[in-house]
Amino acid sequence: MHLAYLDAGSGSMIVQAVVGGAAGVAVAAKLYWRRLRARLRRQPGDRD
Amino acid sequence: MDGSPALLAARAEPGSFRDPGNRVFYVGSRVYRGLAPRAAANWEALRGSAFFPGLLAAGKICGTEPAEPGTVPAAEAGRWAAVLRHERIPFVSYPYEWSFTMLRDAALTHLEVLTEALADGFTTSDGSAYNVQWRGAEPVFVDVGSFEPARDGEPWAGYRQFCQTLLYPLMLQAHLGLDFQPWLRARVDGIEPGQIRRLFGGTRRFSAGALKHIHLHDALQTRHGATGTGEVRAELRAAGFSRDLVLATVRGLERLVRRLDWQPPASHWSRYGRSCGYSAEDRRRKERFVADALAGTGGCRLVLDLGANDGAYARVAARHAEQVVAVEADPTVADQLYRRLRADGERRVLPLVMDLADPSPGGGWRAVERAPFAARARADAVLALAVVHHLAIGRDVPLAEVVDWLLGPLDGAGRRGRLVVEFVHPEDPMARRLLANKPAGQFPGYRREEFERLLDARCVAVRREELACGTRTLYAGTPRG
Repeated sequence: MHLAYLDAGSGSMIVQAVVGGAAGVAVAAKLYWRRLRARLRRQPGDRD
Repeated sequence: MDGSPALLAARAEPGSFRDPGNRVFYVGSRVYRGLAPRAAANWEALRGSAFFPGLLAAGKICGTEPAEPGTVPAAEAGRWAAVLRHERIPFVSYPYEWSFTMLRDAALTHLEVLTEALADGFTTSDGSAYNVQWRGAEPVFVDVGSFEPARDGEPWAGYRQFCQTLLYPLMLQAHLGLDFQPWLRARVDGIEPGQIRRLFGGTRRFSAGALKHIHLHDALQTRHGATGTGEVRAELRAAGFSRDLVLATVRGLERLVRRLDWQPPASHWSRYGRSCGYSAEDRRRKERFVADALAGTGGCRLVLDLGANDGAYARVAARHAEQVVAVEADPTVADQLYRRLRADGERRVLPLVMDLADPSPGGGWRAVERAPFAARARADAVLALAVVHHLAIGRDVPLAEVVDWLLGPLDGAGRRGRLVVEFVHPEDPMARRLLANKPAGQFPGYRREEFERLLDARCVAVRREELACGTRTLYAGTPRG
């Protein structure tokens, strides 16, 4: 995959979802929900 | 004279190295951009796009066309998949030399170009204030190499750079009343979210744009800075980030930038034109003197007006020059001049903010990425009206050094070079006011005879004219070869 030469900044990319209005907030919420779900799924395995 | 460009050596632009996909270089006075294969493919797509030709025709993007075969040195032609030729910008300037309204117009130009690109399926790979230059008082987007096809589901890669080099400096001035120029001059990458966040604590966090673009931005950058941008891109795409969201972000930025306003304090200098004691007759004499001195050159490429104040003489000079750079130390005065020039549609006068006793140094990588003012200021004529006493008395610069410095930009001008300079006698009320703040007897050399001796030693054909006030004299001369 081609990546831009500039480091766009991970936080700078995520914040753009929020500044983009209601639809963007939904995207950010979905992103965080997916992250949380992925973490919860990993945890039982981590404890073993 | 350029000679045949194909035989001349190419000179790389020291500020053009960050994007390896394309690089600006010069051959004589011509400006070229070499494109690597991917950038060349982007250029072909750009040429065929709906938005690019329109912005080009409207003058919003600097003139660009494929370089004619045979005009580019073989070494460069063989190195790139394609070579473009650009319009030459009359005088390269940097954001830390612009006034508030200039920086705001530069931001709006960038956003306008980006909005049109997005609507047509393109984006820009960065968002820097350095992407904008000026034809007189007209902003022009110059980074043609930054256009690329937009990829679905990706935020704008230039957002952080836009914040750091355009939005934050504007917010600093609009919300806090702090001059942004020293911040940009000190840091080539601009102001970071973590730095500006400290200035927007307390109730200031509720200033327009501060919560989202500063506080949230910094918090997310601190939290996710270690996560790779490739991973975040994939996550955002999977969560449904769309091109409409990019457009909404850019529209939001545009609305915010338009809201940011700065009402300058009534400064001493903005009243200077009226209060310094010039009679209407003396102003007319000065205007005529400047016009006569420049008329003899047969037309100048570049005139520097050092200490331009309200720009009255820069406008006179513009009748005899392709471009006049009007340098003014007071950001308020420079901003007012810019607003008037914009309202008049003047395309030959570029106002800049700069302290003449502290001109822009080199900056960025190896201190050559941004050229010092002295390296850019190669002019055919220099105007220094009512400025020598401020440097020689107000800033303690030896008179001989002031004269040498005024002649420096004329080094390459030869017999066409003109220095137009005003000497304010020690008896003049303004000079007396400056001298009153200094120990008595500190400036024994600040005399008219000494100034004339220095000028005569360095210039030929010196013409002089006394102003009616009796305490100011105008001189025009050509540097000795």
